[in-house]
Amino acid sequence: MNKFLAVVRREYVQNVRSKTFIISTILGPLLMIGFTILPGLMFGLKTGEATRIAVVDQTNRLYERVRESVMQAGDEENLPAQLRNSRPAREAREAFQVQYQLEAAPLAGRTLEETKRELAARVAQKQLDAYLVLPSGILEGERPEFHGRNLGDLITIAQLESRLNRALRLQRMQDANINDAQRSAISQEVEMMRCKAGTRCEDEKSSESNVFLAIGVASFIVIAILMYGQVILSAVVEEKTTRLAEVLFSSVRPFTLMAGKLIGVSLVALTQYGIWALIFLALGLYGAAAIAASGFNFSLPSVAPSLIIYSMLYFVIGFLLYATIFALIGAMVTTEKEAGQITVPLSMLLAIAIYLAFPVIRSPNSTYAFWVSMIPFFSPVTMLVRIITETPPFWQIALSLLIGVATIVFTIWLTARVYRVGMLMYGKRASIPEVLRWVRQS
Amino acid sequence: MSDHPVSLSVERVSKKFDEFVAVDDLSLTARRGRIFGLIGPNGAGKTTTIRMIVGITAPDSGRIEMFGRPFTPELRERIGYLPEERGLYKRMKVGEQLRFFGVLKGMEPRAADRSADCWLERLKLAEWKQHKTDELSKGMQQKIQFVATVLHDPELLILDEVFSGLDPVNAELLIGVLLELRARGKTIIFSTHMMEQAEKLCDDICLINRARKVLDGSLREVKSSFGRNSVALRADVADEKLKNSPHVAGVKSYGDYDEVLLKEGADAQVFLHELIAAGVRVERFEQTELSLHDIFVRKVGEAA
Repeated sequence: MNKFLAVVRREYVQNVRSKTFIISTILGPLLMIGFTILPGLMFGLKTGEATRIAVVDQTNRLYERVRESVMQAGDEENLPAQLRNSRPAREAREAFQVQYQLEAAPLAGRTLEETKRELAARVAQKQLDAYLVLPSGILEGERPEFHGRNLGDLITIAQLESRLNRALRLQRMQDANINDAQRSAISQEVEMMRCKAGTRCEDEKSSESNVFLAIGVASFIVIAILMYGQVILSAVVEEKTTRLAEVLFSSVRPFTLMAGKLIGVSLVALTQYGIWALIFLALGLYGAAAIAASGFNFSLPSVAPSLIIYSMLYFVIGFLLYATIFALIGAMVTTEKEAGQITVPLSMLLAIAIYLAFPVIRSPNSTYAFWVSMIPFFSPVTMLVRIITETPPFWQIALSLLIGVATIVFTIWLTARVYRVGMLMYGKRASIPEVLRWVRQS
Repeated sequence: MSDHPVSLSVERVSKKFDEFVAVDDLSLTARRGRIFGLIGPNGAGKTTTIRMIVGITAPDSGRIEMFGRPFTPELRERIGYLPEERGLYKRMKVGEQLRFFGVLKGMEPRAADRSADCWLERLKLAEWKQHKTDELSKGMQQKIQFVATVLHDPELLILDEVFSGLDPVNAELLIGVLLELRARGKTIIFSTHMMEQAEKLCDDICLINRARKVLDGSLREVKSSFGRNSVALRADVADEKLKNSPHVAGVKSYGDYDEVLLKEGADAQVFLHELIAAGVRVERFEQTELSLHDIFVRKVGEAA
């Protein structure tokens, strides 16, 4: 036991002290903050200059209404106020806010073709960004034309389209003599309550966010494995490149060494994640406090404590499982470079787990869901999804955890065996049949 | 020699890797307070033998007993093993590293530190304790590796090619340490293909070639069994004439002298008489033992 702890301790201290660890610990949150804020900033850049659009109105009565509708933010006036004012909706609106500058382009006696030619010339000279032709039959469904310099700006075009339709809708209602009060009464929408069958109905929209929790845990495992797979690999190869393996094996069992290294590196990963979690928790609390102080009514999605425990459990098992596979690869090769190509498909396996989880969300108690959540490589995602959607019997959860742990122990054992025999033959990479032979002999 | 208790006995051990026979029916005995040399050409099976002794690979057949018991993992703590393939953690400080190795051998961290300090002092490395290994020269690293091997005061030391890469000064230092350990009653097994060192240090030897034992015993016995039947001769006599002598089996000419190998049963005194009677001026006439090197070359050469 002391030997095991000594191996764990050495691995931990060496890694935590390394420059890579310190730099990535500091850089990680900065990058994450960057990635969440930057897109917003990028979209924000667009607000700097308005999109200039000329409108050729062949109906001669729609321009004002179209202009008003296009200039007015908010395309979802039909949604219930609760949804319209929800934070994501507001944020999305703000992020995608595009400003417009509209001008009427009257035909003034010229033909449509002449006007279009003139407008096209102005677009080419960059006096305009686009022009819009509203045909006289537009209210009856004739298609308007959008002539733009940049047809790639999908957000602007879609927004323009939706706002144009809003103007048309209003115009048609007015033509049908429907007043404003009637109009909003007609277009009132309702939102379904989400209730679990057999329980008292409370709106359980939180279970939606719980599905995201499962996907979140899966992505955390993917990220952790991408970041730490390489660390584990080099930790395992280290004794080979430094030629220390033989010295160590005269003092400690290969299994102890492998398990110790794995736990050591995993603790390093946990430390890093712990630091990040604290940073984000602090920022989050600060943010929540700031929002609360501004008087905005806001509640954190509620997550059951058991779910948090299961998430952590499956995170740890998923991480260790993939980590042992990396260790196994490390045991087969002689240098880190050789391992490079093998590691990519491995990370793909977890991505597959996420895809496999989607059918599980829809029918969490199917035979498919059962088997998929028993396969150790997928269970960290699939079982978690099942627990969230329709909690399976406890024995199933326990079984999947057990299979996970057993697979980890078996893989470490296999790794130790491959490592020990592989070490005795320096300088050449093993083929799979050779590895199988190593496992049998020794 | 038999008053030294046996600390390691290997009995009829064999090991195959697929079709390749690495060690074939090998037996040997190492005793307390003696230095045992496992010698043989490259690829003879020395390293495989040692790995089986240390418990890294298991023999296919045969028995290995240590301190009178079959080998168990617990016995590892009484062994110090310096393999031929050796290294150190590059980015670890010397002191930390030695403590780690000590703990792996079952020591308390503090005891490991104390012992490391002693040994670093003894090998003139004390000021390097706080340095990282990759700041050290090759020779220094090798001495650190040796310290890691003896740190936990093992009763049985197994050193594979311990002198390779050491300069003469450090080699002398190490020989001194080994002799001192022997005097303290340790058993030392070391493998080498460098006969000069083996000849200087070993009490007992075992020569193996192509997986099999060729000869073994105490160095004294081995050498005397080859007899003193060669003569270093410097005299003004033609090689042809020497070869025609009824006593001579062969002649090798070196720059300064000839080495004359006498026939079995021939008396060197009679040979000398004959030379003088023939009027040859003899400047040097020295009966020599075969060196371990010669024995090695002869035995391994015979097999080839």
